[in-house]
Amino acid sequence: MSPIALLFGGFLLLLLVGTPIAVALGLSGTLAILAADLGIMAVPTNIYAGVAKYPLLAIPVFILAGLIFERAGVARQIVTFASSIVGDRNGGLAVVAVLVCMVMGGISGSGPADAAAVATVMIPSMRKAGYPAAFSASVIAAAAATAILIPPSVAFIIYSVLVPQASVPALFAAGLIPGLLAGLSILIPVVILSRRHGFGLAGAGPRPPFWRSLRDAIWGLLAPVIILGGLRLGVFTPTEAAVVAVFYGLLIGTVVLRTLTFRKIGDVLAESAEMSAVILIVIALAGVFAWAGSTLGAFDAVADGILSFTGNEIVVLLLLNVALLGVGMLLDAISVFLILLPLLEPLVAAFGWDPVWFGVVLTMNLAIGQFTPPMAVNLMVTSRIAGVPMEHMTGWIAWLVLSMVGALALVVIFPELALWLPRRLGYL
Amino acid sequence: MTVDREEDAPVERGGVVPERALAAAAMAVLCAITFANVVARYLTAYSFAFTEEYSVFLLVVMTFLGTSAAIATDRHIRITVLVDKLAPGRRRVAGVLCWGVAAVMFGLLSWYGGQFAYDNWRFEETSPGLGVPVWLYTVWLPILSIVITIRALMRTIAAARGNAP
Repeated sequence: MSPIALLFGGFLLLLLVGTPIAVALGLSGTLAILAADLGIMAVPTNIYAGVAKYPLLAIPVFILAGLIFERAGVARQIVTFASSIVGDRNGGLAVVAVLVCMVMGGISGSGPADAAAVATVMIPSMRKAGYPAAFSASVIAAAAATAILIPPSVAFIIYSVLVPQASVPALFAAGLIPGLLAGLSILIPVVILSRRHGFGLAGAGPRPPFWRSLRDAIWGLLAPVIILGGLRLGVFTPTEAAVVAVFYGLLIGTVVLRTLTFRKIGDVLAESAEMSAVILIVIALAGVFAWAGSTLGAFDAVADGILSFTGNEIVVLLLLNVALLGVGMLLDAISVFLILLPLLEPLVAAFGWDPVWFGVVLTMNLAIGQFTPPMAVNLMVTSRIAGVPMEHMTGWIAWLVLSMVGALALVVIFPELALWLPRRLGYL
Repeated sequence: MTVDREEDAPVERGGVVPERALAAAAMAVLCAITFANVVARYLTAYSFAFTEEYSVFLLVVMTFLGTSAAIATDRHIRITVLVDKLAPGRRRVAGVLCWGVAAVMFGLLSWYGGQFAYDNWRFEETSPGLGVPVWLYTVWLPILSIVITIRALMRTIAAARGNAP
């Protein structure tokens, strides 16, 4: 068998029998290196160097920050504040859920963490106000997908490590408007559906007083301001911004809200270490796959194949988005980046696409994949919390997917939606 | 699917795996060093950015410890949609295959990682930042890979007995 066939064939086979993605990437890469006699010491070298990178430090620290804010329970105060503005009648509570997901997305950089934080607080009160649990769980899963677009975003940090021309601040800035647009694309069908089906007509009690709830929520609301403000002013590197958020979250959790006990902090540390390790080991072993593929010239061959099939930019872009949506339904965003970016980079270069814009489009596709069954990480989290099987949610999910695909189309057609802000801030 | 992983991981429940506690400790030290760095840089003129080398090393250690813990709790990213559709007998075969393959990967990494660290020691390489002998860092790659290999083998045996997903 040729080494290239071994690389791609071996990977697919291992993936399908349920091998962890990290192992499937690492082993198929190792076998291809052995078969082509490329020098086996590339395996440990690439794996060690793949993780031992300063920019990657930001990933575990942002994951930890997100979990600390989740466990400290800041979501509850933000929910109360948002309902004091929106009210809870005529779909108001569903609107609140979407808005809180977006704010929490400005603290954490991962969709499932965001979904867990908001679903725990919102689903019980939405049920009381007359929303079916399947609807609430669908809305929160979809809105939480904006977390990987709204800065900070773990997906953008990994993209920047893989594509160094796109800096983290530029990507963070570029994700903001598409992230808000994605949030809006969820809000519109949510309002229409709630009104049409008469959800939440009852309301969940008296409207909370504005100033009082602002005072309670201000601690949580300040977190995105500190993270993004610090990055914008150039005071912090992404890793430093994340660590400041961690200690700020600890302060709120232990002194202000008094929700974090010593035991809970230990738990959060272990949880975030494990979650980060699961991501970082994929990055480490994907390095072997990428090294084998590029040394064998496999990725250029695939890109050439696509280009010889059609050189039409619009056709390629369209096919790419369809393929990405499909892949995103089966795999999580980070694995898709690591597997596909080496293949896509020659295409990006061939068409002269802006790497920052391309990163946003890629991430938006994968955000949609986070709540599209069967492998929808956000839906899994919310369906478990709501106690509703995922199959009962597909009717609601279809509308939300359709609407966010519309937002994606806008960003693909008008790249300025992503690129205007980073250019304005001088990152491009 | 990966929905109820915490509940139905039969081998070990979350907190009992020692690697998990050690990974948490690595995470804590990592954050403490980074935060101390930020504070020192803004409150004093003194910068100890050289600790970057230690932070990056802790990141590697945390990754391998966490990988081992995540094998025990079955938290790794993998596609289970297809395997879940198989009949129980075939699912057992797939389970043995997928964890056995993981043991092979980390077994290879233990061996070649050992050679890698041995080369670092033999050629007396030192780190560019602090001048620390590089093998002191890289020797943990094979050591922790052995730990992961053992975990993967335990999982393979559990799968063969039919009590692991």
